[in-house]
Amino acid sequence: MMKYLLSPLFLLASLVMNAQDQETTTDSIQQLEAVQVTAKVKKSIATAMKMNISVDEFLASSDNISFIKRGAYAWEPMLNNMSSERATITIDGMHVFGACTDKMDPITSYVESNNLAAVNISSGQQGSANGATVSGSVDLKRKTTPFSMQPKWNGSYRSGFEFNNQQFYNQGNLAYADQQWVAQGSVSYRKANNYSDGNTNEVAHSQFEKFNASVGLAHKTGKLSSLRVDAIFDQANDVGYPALPMDLWLSRALITSATFKQLYQEGWLRAWDTKIYFNAIEHYMDDTTRPENLVHMDMPGWSTTYGLVSKAHLMKGNWHSEMQLNAYDNLSIAEMRMYPQDRSERTMFAYSWPWVTTRFAGLSTNNTLELSAQSELQFGGALGINYNYSKYIDFNWIFHPGAPQEKTRWLPSLYATYHQSIQQFDVAIGGGYGHRAPSVSEGYGYYIYNSFDRYDYVGNPNLKNEISYEVNASAGFQNDKLSLKAKANYFYIDNYIIGKILNMGSPMNYQSVGVKGYTSLAYATLFNFSLDAGYFITKNLQWKGMLTYARGMDNEGGNLPFIRPLSYQTSLQYQYQQFGLQTTFNGDLAQEHYSPAYGEDLTPAYAIWNLSADYTFKLYHFETTVQLGAENVLNQYYSTYADWGNIPRMGRNLFTALQINF
Amino acid sequence: MKMIHWTMAILFGMVITSCTLSKTDYEAELSTAIPETTEFEEAFSINSNGYQIRVNALGGTFYKGYNELHFEITETATQEAIANATVTLLPIRTTTNAEAYSCPHSEVVAFQTTDAYYEGYSVFDVETDTDASWVLYLSITVAGETFNLEQPIEVAEQENLNLNMTSFTGNDGVQYYIALIAPVSPSVAENELIAGVYQYNEPETAGGDFPDPSQFSFSEVEGATLLLDPRMPEPNMGNHSSPNNEDLTQEGDGLYYGVVNYTMTGNWTLNFIFQNAAGDVIKGTEVPTDFTPGVEGEKSELYIDILF
Ligand SMILES: [Cu+2]
Repeated sequence: MMKYLLSPLFLLASLVMNAQDQETTTDSIQQLEAVQVTAKVKKSIATAMKMNISVDEFLASSDNISFIKRGAYAWEPMLNNMSSERATITIDGMHVFGACTDKMDPITSYVESNNLAAVNISSGQQGSANGATVSGSVDLKRKTTPFSMQPKWNGSYRSGFEFNNQQFYNQGNLAYADQQWVAQGSVSYRKANNYSDGNTNEVAHSQFEKFNASVGLAHKTGKLSSLRVDAIFDQANDVGYPALPMDLWLSRALITSATFKQLYQEGWLRAWDTKIYFNAIEHYMDDTTRPENLVHMDMPGWSTTYGLVSKAHLMKGNWHSEMQLNAYDNLSIAEMRMYPQDRSERTMFAYSWPWVTTRFAGLSTNNTLELSAQSELQFGGALGINYNYSKYIDFNWIFHPGAPQEKTRWLPSLYATYHQSIQQFDVAIGGGYGHRAPSVSEGYGYYIYNSFDRYDYVGNPNLKNEISYEVNASAGFQNDKLSLKAKANYFYIDNYIIGKILNMGSPMNYQSVGVKGYTSLAYATLFNFSLDAGYFITKNLQWKGMLTYARGMDNEGGNLPFIRPLSYQTSLQYQYQQFGLQTTFNGDLAQEHYSPAYGEDLTPAYAIWNLSADYTFKLYHFETTVQLGAENVLNQYYSTYADWGNIPRMGRNLFTALQINF
Repeated sequence: MKMIHWTMAILFGMVITSCTLSKTDYEAELSTAIPETTEFEEAFSINSNGYQIRVNALGGTFYKGYNELHFEITETATQEAIANATVTLLPIRTTTNAEAYSCPHSEVVAFQTTDAYYEGYSVFDVETDTDASWVLYLSITVAGETFNLEQPIEVAEQENLNLNMTSFTGNDGVQYYIALIAPVSPSVAENELIAGVYQYNEPETAGGDFPDPSQFSFSEVEGATLLLDPRMPEPNMGNHSSPNNEDLTQEGDGLYYGVVNYTMTGNWTLNFIFQNAAGDVIKGTEVPTDFTPGVEGEKSELYIDILF
């Protein structure tokens, strides 16, 4: 019977899917301090404050991730204060590209907290393993259940309610494992109404509804090998983007993979896993909910990606290495159709992404050389080849006559970091160099309306590679009670790509004031600094603090947009037996280094206070946790430097959560 | 094990899910507002003086605007194509009160050796109507023998606005005609824009026997410039324009060539300022460049509307 079942699976695998590993070979290099998994909610992501959170909320707890927010849903992650096209964001190493020209759908919006186990964030060129990058990489690690000696079932159920926007969610996970097979699945559904800001005014168009399901099936194909197929299905309906002139009617993603993994007991080669994957995303915007819109427009988008990731772990003496081959093919299509006032007249059509193909193949290596018990050297690099093809290059020729329809770029990358520990201190210093290719929008976008600075953006196929030179350093101290860590990095980026006003063409979108073209600045610089501290006041009471500062400037000393001002967070956590109490206080100072050229204004300082309590007990024989808390306890009215169009953030929000593990 | 079956069923279900909305067929989109490009077909044929004269036009129909015309002359007895004839052409429109007008046309039709037909054109400026009936006068000379033919024709409404035309009296009092020739089927792209620009020459002498070609003389305008400013007139487009357009100037074949960029499909207005060889404005006004959403775009006093 198994054979019959297996053959369609292989077929499936060869047709479409990508793959994923089970017992994730823990690579200490890639673990990030900020990504903690508390014992209580093992194998799921959570912050100290809140146990059941969205992926966005979880990422926000990391000190080098910030967010551009266009509403309550699908925040765009910025790594090291750089926009998402400068990072590689992957799901288990798979490339997935959003289908929205307005960045309504970062990859993080297609997963759920209950199908993720961890998020690996690598800063700068250390993140080049998954593809060319400038700011680093974010890899979303899916949950995987290991094979089990005895047949075993386990699962969990999570539910909760958030009072501010009446968000109700239900999430369930179920897994079966035996010696030969693993099957697992998860389902999540959340629905929220509009939220209210700190003045208790409802923020119109901030509702959302999201369904997410994942399944995985693994089979042990040998003593040391296994085959696994996975799929995630995600659907969002009727999602409001209060900061944008339109909402989302429907967004769907199908993310599939098949992974073959082989372990070796002897020799240099310790593990080899290869994954083929396929994902398809469709995204349909909707402006009919906005009667103030003068012009009705349809803006559908599609993104389809096929890919391969093959990774080998090598080890010899004091040397560990990971070699990785990455290849993918993406087709991005976005259309716009404008309706005339007199609907009997002919509609007006254009492509915002004129069928742009991106093919990438890259070979990368990450190495760790243990020089002594106290010191080690990490080094690596990558060489990628990036190919673009614009099927309807005619669109691009309107602004860039004669631009090549095909473009091939070489994307090299190198980095090295030296770590030294001296008793309780450790220091690290490193540097990196890397190229990235322009994104689909930057290279081939066509009249993509940016409601932040109110310009229509046009891509330039002739853009040069962005080249990053980076230095970074960190210093830390740790003893039984106190931990301190300071990190800083500095990027000098040649050919920094940003939109500049074009003195040609005229707006197409009716809210627009002009046309900007993606242009290379001679260079831009970015500096990021963070300080993290932790202190055990008593065995049960822990204090944590975090401070971040960033500064970004263009070649003329002007400010870059979306650079986080000085921000801080301080928290206290109290744990007594089954009872836990947490409180945090966080805020940003005023954004003095704002960029008027990109539609920014001075965002004032704000500070927010949050509070939560939880209790864990046995319900029959199920481990159960309940949590009660409040965010923005003082009901502050605020918006942050990265809130699109200064939309206010949520006011006071009481939340409850329940989790049952079995 | 049930879980495994179940899982597999779901995996399958997920993979077969396809797109909710279908993508636009761009090629079909481009042709929706444009009648299918037709072949040259017979518009009429006449047997006379031992010859058959066949006149071919696009789709076998004469349209308002620029019409390329192909003439085939065959000796009826031998079925041999005649290559060394001289063909002159004169379209005449007669109104109900018997006034006669013509329109820009090639007077002498040239023989195209490669295609074995005579090629000419006529820019019909008025559709056939109760007040406008057209007759095509042909004068053919073969081997020293001349014979005249006349054929009543129908001029149909121009279905493809990309071949639209306009006629006007310039500031110099001369009657001018601008007729679009290309692109026949534009796309969202840089399009080579070709137009014929003609003027009516007032007769200097009294006419002879009707129809006297000297009374109906037209010529290509020499050395002029058509300054181009394409815009979308639709109120929702707020006077949208496009970059990198090139004004129309005359080339060796007498026609005017420029570049028009259409940034999306739909209605466009080609706003012109017509300057003569000396640089004087014969017709046309500058249009506002402001982006005015919700307001129908203002047009130059000299313009041609297109649609694709
Ligand atoms: Cu969108």
